[in-house]
Amino acid sequence: MGENRTPRSRTPLRGTRIVTLLAVAAMVAAGCSSGGNEEPQKSGQSQQVVEGGTLRLGTTSTIDSINPFVGFQANSFLVWQSIWPYLGTYDEDNKIVPFWATSWDASPDGLTYTFHLHPDTKWSDGQPMTASDAAFTINTIIKYQDGPTGSWAGNVTNMKEVDAPDPATVVVHYSKPSGNALSQLIGIPILPEHVWGTFATGDGKALKTEAKDAVTPTEDQPVVSGGPFELAEYKKDDIALLQRNPNYTLTAKPHIDGFGIQIYSNEDAMITAFKNGDLDAIEGVPTTNVASLKAAGFTINNTPGVFFYDFIINSNPKKPEHQELLDPKVKEALEYAVDRQQIIDVALGGYGSPGASIVPPATGDWSDPNVKPLPFDIDQANQILDSLGFQRGDGGIRVADGHPMEYTVIIPNSQQAVLSRTFQIIQPDFQEIGVKLTLKVLDPSAAFDAIGAPDYKYLDFDLAMWDWIPFPDPSYILNVVMCDQYGSNSDSGYCNPAYDKLWDQQASTVDQDERRQIVYQMQEILFNDRPYIVLNYPDVIDAFDSDNWAGFYNESGFGIFINNSTLTMNSVHQT
Amino acid sequence: MRRADYVIKRTFFAFVTIFVAITLNFFLFRVIPGDAVSNLARVPHATPALRQALEEEFGLDKPKWEQYLIYLKQLAHGNMGVSFANQEPVWSNLKTALANTLPMVTLGTVIAIVIGLITGVLSAWRRKTKLDHISTNVAIAFYAFPTQWLALVLLIYLSGFLPSHGMTNDFLLNPTPWEHFKDVGLHMILPAMTLALTLYGQYTLVVRSSMLETLGEDYVLTARAKGFTQRKVVTRHALRNAMLPTTTLIALSLGYIVAGAILIETVFSWPGIGSAVYQAVTQRDYPMLQGAFLVLTVSVVAANFVADLLYFKLDPRITE
Repeated sequence: MGENRTPRSRTPLRGTRIVTLLAVAAMVAAGCSSGGNEEPQKSGQSQQVVEGGTLRLGTTSTIDSINPFVGFQANSFLVWQSIWPYLGTYDEDNKIVPFWATSWDASPDGLTYTFHLHPDTKWSDGQPMTASDAAFTINTIIKYQDGPTGSWAGNVTNMKEVDAPDPATVVVHYSKPSGNALSQLIGIPILPEHVWGTFATGDGKALKTEAKDAVTPTEDQPVVSGGPFELAEYKKDDIALLQRNPNYTLTAKPHIDGFGIQIYSNEDAMITAFKNGDLDAIEGVPTTNVASLKAAGFTINNTPGVFFYDFIINSNPKKPEHQELLDPKVKEALEYAVDRQQIIDVALGGYGSPGASIVPPATGDWSDPNVKPLPFDIDQANQILDSLGFQRGDGGIRVADGHPMEYTVIIPNSQQAVLSRTFQIIQPDFQEIGVKLTLKVLDPSAAFDAIGAPDYKYLDFDLAMWDWIPFPDPSYILNVVMCDQYGSNSDSGYCNPAYDKLWDQQASTVDQDERRQIVYQMQEILFNDRPYIVLNYPDVIDAFDSDNWAGFYNESGFGIFINNSTLTMNSVHQT
Repeated sequence: MRRADYVIKRTFFAFVTIFVAITLNFFLFRVIPGDAVSNLARVPHATPALRQALEEEFGLDKPKWEQYLIYLKQLAHGNMGVSFANQEPVWSNLKTALANTLPMVTLGTVIAIVIGLITGVLSAWRRKTKLDHISTNVAIAFYAFPTQWLALVLLIYLSGFLPSHGMTNDFLLNPTPWEHFKDVGLHMILPAMTLALTLYGQYTLVVRSSMLETLGEDYVLTARAKGFTQRKVVTRHALRNAMLPTTTLIALSLGYIVAGAILIETVFSWPGIGSAVYQAVTQRDYPMLQGAFLVLTVSVVAANFVADLLYFKLDPRITE
């Protein structure tokens, strides 16, 4: 799973979450016929299904582009997964299930995957939707992965080529066995070749710069789509309006005529509009608004997220100064001085759970249950630092190797609301163990620059805080601390060849139980080496008007809307 | 001849100003820490090849002076480049944003000027009365309120009655032109009203003080002695002469209309130029920033130029 590329976690905009796929035939059928007995919400009992209507969804996270080779924000993924078909999708527990492909099989050597598609499917413009569209899309990504299609390169790692021997069969060839082949493949939106074929020529740059018409709906010509919906209207920073795709046959058709994603640049405005009945549901509710929405009679859906906040310790072995921070004992002492519960109570308003592993429990069984946070214990922290011989100097600040233990913590202003409160809790506790912290807030671009300084060699910074949004599959999040991610995803300078080797090993282990053992081992290494002290997994909080709407699905770790399937939009209905 | 000299001199200075601003803008954005590629290069399993490909694509691998020359050359051909963030031509992004911003900000500014003129003249005319005190203090208060606070207060109290998101009701399907016009008009009330309220105070104060000055002049006394009505004295003799500083202020603020109103656009989710610039800054979208600042520079310079010319017309003393 997971490799569906993420709307990159460390973006300048808040509320980015990943999104990928489409709904599962079986799931949706079950959801529809049983009148929503799968509903996770406390929204009340099974209600009658009223067909039609438009669900108005409010968000503060933007849609940067409908072009999948340009956009990367969470809500762009929500649009893509609604309008384009995917080979497979996820269920509410992040398990991979069929979608366009009804089944698939892997060759014993793990080098070939064969997908069997629903036959006789059509794009929204009536053209046949076949295996050759899938082959075209994936081959195009493979071909231009070091350039125009680079943002999807993670989905085609070790992939050689894709064939379509007949209209209902897709065969994917790998050069090396791939442990996460399925999650990679089902993360790719399949584009109509008859629309996109003209851009995938020459150096492929046209895929980014010329494809505007292919993703711009006009008055009477929606974007050519193959998912449950087609894009009828899109205005940058304003709205995306989707309507039912008349030719959609992969699962039961949605009950709603369509839905709109309204983009608010201000949370208070969104909450007010929701309360006034201008919206039917909102995603990403600020914790401070939960109580008032509950009081106003709305239903709140909160679920432990995969998103996590982390306290970053520069772990670059080549770091010239403050080398004491490379000492695992020092890092352990720092973790003992972090009061995770207090951070959750204050900075997250109680909506979150303490964290330890960078593979969040909400991803299911990829998270190592043996990786647990250290308890908050100032005495223990002091004992460790005493035993290392760091005596207290001026103002009670310890001295390590001749200099006081005083460090700057860099945080991005995009997460300032939570992280500056987190800092206010950590700072006095660290003071008690003789470590002095100062805060430096920068905008995300400058913060990433400061962490990588100089020139992405990670030599200057000491401490930082930020967040990540992992996929259901652990491959991506385990990759961000690897040596080859310097200048790309690395924000810790961590580089451990033994760890990198394990990553390669899990990436090519096809047996998932065997792979899981390696993934556990990697999580334990990271926990002990502590490039990150994982602080917490905040809840994903969504809200909806349960007086008039039902049929919402909650996906573990992702919530109702910005998740990895179209379960919600396929089953939501008026009551 | 003198007039032609004046115009030529002003025009020359306007062009020099624009050129200097273009140059400053180009280098200014590039010295802010943070680079344009790091955001786009952080995708799962990113490779150094991707970073390099992006840098080449954006021309950021070349030395800065070369980038600058390329930028100037493109600009000379009327090409403002392509936005890093959404890969669309900068001018098409700016055009959409400007088309959204201009009606709202213009309406707000015009209302502010009208209210400012009326209250300013009334205050000066009835100076030291209760009316003057109330009007001046209210103007100062609105001028002092933080824009976003005022916007939020209006939003919270009025959003049940007036639309508070964006420019149109996007769920109004296939509106007739009249319905569309009404829809946009209704959406414009809250943001334009906020803008008018935050802006009008400065006009009140400037108009009032320049009116007070002219009301004390000998020619006003003469006019009064001639037995003109109060109204005529104020409008014909005092106000006309008091308009000089006000004209400058108006011209300047018209120039800034294209800058939009970042805070107001943010509160009311107005998809205008203010929010476009803000996003471009956070994304280090250099071509968008350069484009937006170029448009802003040109319009401020142009507005000043017009103000200079108007001055020339309004006040013949300038040529002497």
